[in-house]
Amino acid sequence: MIEALRKKAEELLKNKTVSVVFGYGEGSTPERTRPVFITKPEEVNKLTWNKYCVYNLTTYLKRQETRKLGKPAIVVKGCDARTLIVLMKESQIKREDVYILGVSCDGVGDPLAEKCKACDVHTPRIYDDLIGEKGENKELPFDERYAELDEYENLSEKEKWEFWQKQFEKCIKCYACSNICPLCFCDRCIVEKNQPQWIDPSAHARGNLSWNVTRAYHLAGRCINCEECQRVCPVDIPLNLLNKKLAKEAEKNFNYRPGYNIDDELAMSTYNEKDNQDFVR
Amino acid sequence: MEKSLNKKDFDNFITSLRGKGYKTFAPKKNNNLVVLDEVQGADEISLDHVITNNSIKEFFFPKTENVLSYRMEKNQVQIEEPEGFAVKAVIFGSRPCDAFSLPVMDKVFNWDCSDKFWVQRREAITIVTIACDKCDSYCFCTSVGLAPDAKQGSDVLLTKISSDNYVVETVTEKGESLIKEFESVFSGPSSDSSDRQVATVEKKFEIEKVKPWLDENFVHAVWTDFSLKCIGCGACTFVCPTCHCFDIVDECTMTKGDRVKNWDGCQFKMFTMHTSGHNPRSTQGERWRQRIMHKFKYYVEKFDSILCVGCGRCSRVCPADMNISEMLEIIETEASQSENKE
Repeated sequence: MIEALRKKAEELLKNKTVSVVFGYGEGSTPERTRPVFITKPEEVNKLTWNKYCVYNLTTYLKRQETRKLGKPAIVVKGCDARTLIVLMKESQIKREDVYILGVSCDGVGDPLAEKCKACDVHTPRIYDDLIGEKGENKELPFDERYAELDEYENLSEKEKWEFWQKQFEKCIKCYACSNICPLCFCDRCIVEKNQPQWIDPSAHARGNLSWNVTRAYHLAGRCINCEECQRVCPVDIPLNLLNKKLAKEAEKNFNYRPGYNIDDELAMSTYNEKDNQDFVR
Repeated sequence: MEKSLNKKDFDNFITSLRGKGYKTFAPKKNNNLVVLDEVQGADEISLDHVITNNSIKEFFFPKTENVLSYRMEKNQVQIEEPEGFAVKAVIFGSRPCDAFSLPVMDKVFNWDCSDKFWVQRREAITIVTIACDKCDSYCFCTSVGLAPDAKQGSDVLLTKISSDNYVVETVTEKGESLIKEFESVFSGPSSDSSDRQVATVEKKFEIEKVKPWLDENFVHAVWTDFSLKCIGCGACTFVCPTCHCFDIVDECTMTKGDRVKNWDGCQFKMFTMHTSGHNPRSTQGERWRQRIMHKFKYYVEKFDSILCVGCGRCSRVCPADMNISEMLEIIETEASQSENKE
């Protein structure tokens, strides 16, 4: 698979289909990989593919430094490819702006990442080229996809509140969660606005609660569950639990899975008379 | 006289300290992490980790703190200054790299004005370090002039000499008086004190070559190339024991408010953004260069210290696997190549 990936990348750079390939390279330890940006055909040997390729590289589509490199080919797993669909639907990229190098994936991380345990997109649902075997994606039932929430949902309201207070206490406001998120693409984040000051910048109880809840809310009905926020959190806050809970509520109410079917209308920016309105009182 | 401390007496030490009104902090398991946190007894202390997730700096320079509160009444402003922020405490089992960050940071917090929050906490807290008996591939203290059993910055240093015994060395007068105050907890010299169990930390680069190269290479392709993967968050600076930038904000209503000092970091795009909209460090390459320059050039010129203790935390937590010692190895290689050209 690695050879096929390198060959394809070399071809795309040689015939100038793209100016850069966003891919995975060897990391600083054998248990890590790192993002690499290949601009020369002779450098494609830096590309790799293994179970440590956890990153969602589509986040580099929002960064000015990597955008400057020109049209990219981007290595995506099935989950990452869903981000591209959301970005297209939200008018952040055009289909022709990216060359999608899909990789078929049996799961990443060691131990296996939580996101992979209920994965039903082993083969990306959108790509220009597929590296690896094309498998048949069979959509998992709703309950199975959100089984990870069972334990959390069994907590009482009070227990949930205590759980999150304890978790958010650890937050140091480094904003790794939002900076890594490919769907947190606002040029100026709400935390950076101070007229008025919507969110207290301090890492105290009030500031941490308002930041973490706002971040999660802005991803409701948009998050594709790549779990990058949780992976990068230096203080180990289970951020994806919040995202996943909101994804579940959004899907339940609007029958919408972000980035799954490219023809589906967005849940949050589409009005439908049949939408559930019983929360309006 | 040299003393020793048996692991079974750790609990006695912690309890005695607490009995005399000291707060006690030590490495402690918290789910997947080991963090420096308050402990009530030795059963909570973790001893088998490489390094704690959080650095020692938050005990002297917390992530957020009130520097004053104010209230506006008629034509008057009432100002209330915080009190009681410096609490008598012992940090037990911190690492030598963390301990060394304290004298390094003393220089900046006592520079053009003396930061009372830092200074008073420094006086109130005693540091009892445990030398590292293991390390990982991110550690590089030996490359920045330290060692896994370095004493600078500690008041007392414990070094493992057998599976449950530690040799005790006092480093400062403060350490000396602490040992004296709790003399009964400690034992006499140990017969096996020569057999110290100290980690071997590989030397990764020659620090002497770094600054001369930085002096000449403010403009260089490596800054952009190396930082392309950087996502511009503040994880590296916030876990760093020597990064000390902060921001002052007022959190207020119409009539009252708090003036708060918060950690800030040079990797954020907003860090140098001017109100005019101009940003003197508009790209991540420039922001990454600033981080390296500040640690290995500017601070050296101003305070005669490197602003890095080789703990490796920034590299461990980096979301994009940016590795600081790798950056310094690249600089060393570049420096050697330009030497050869000449």
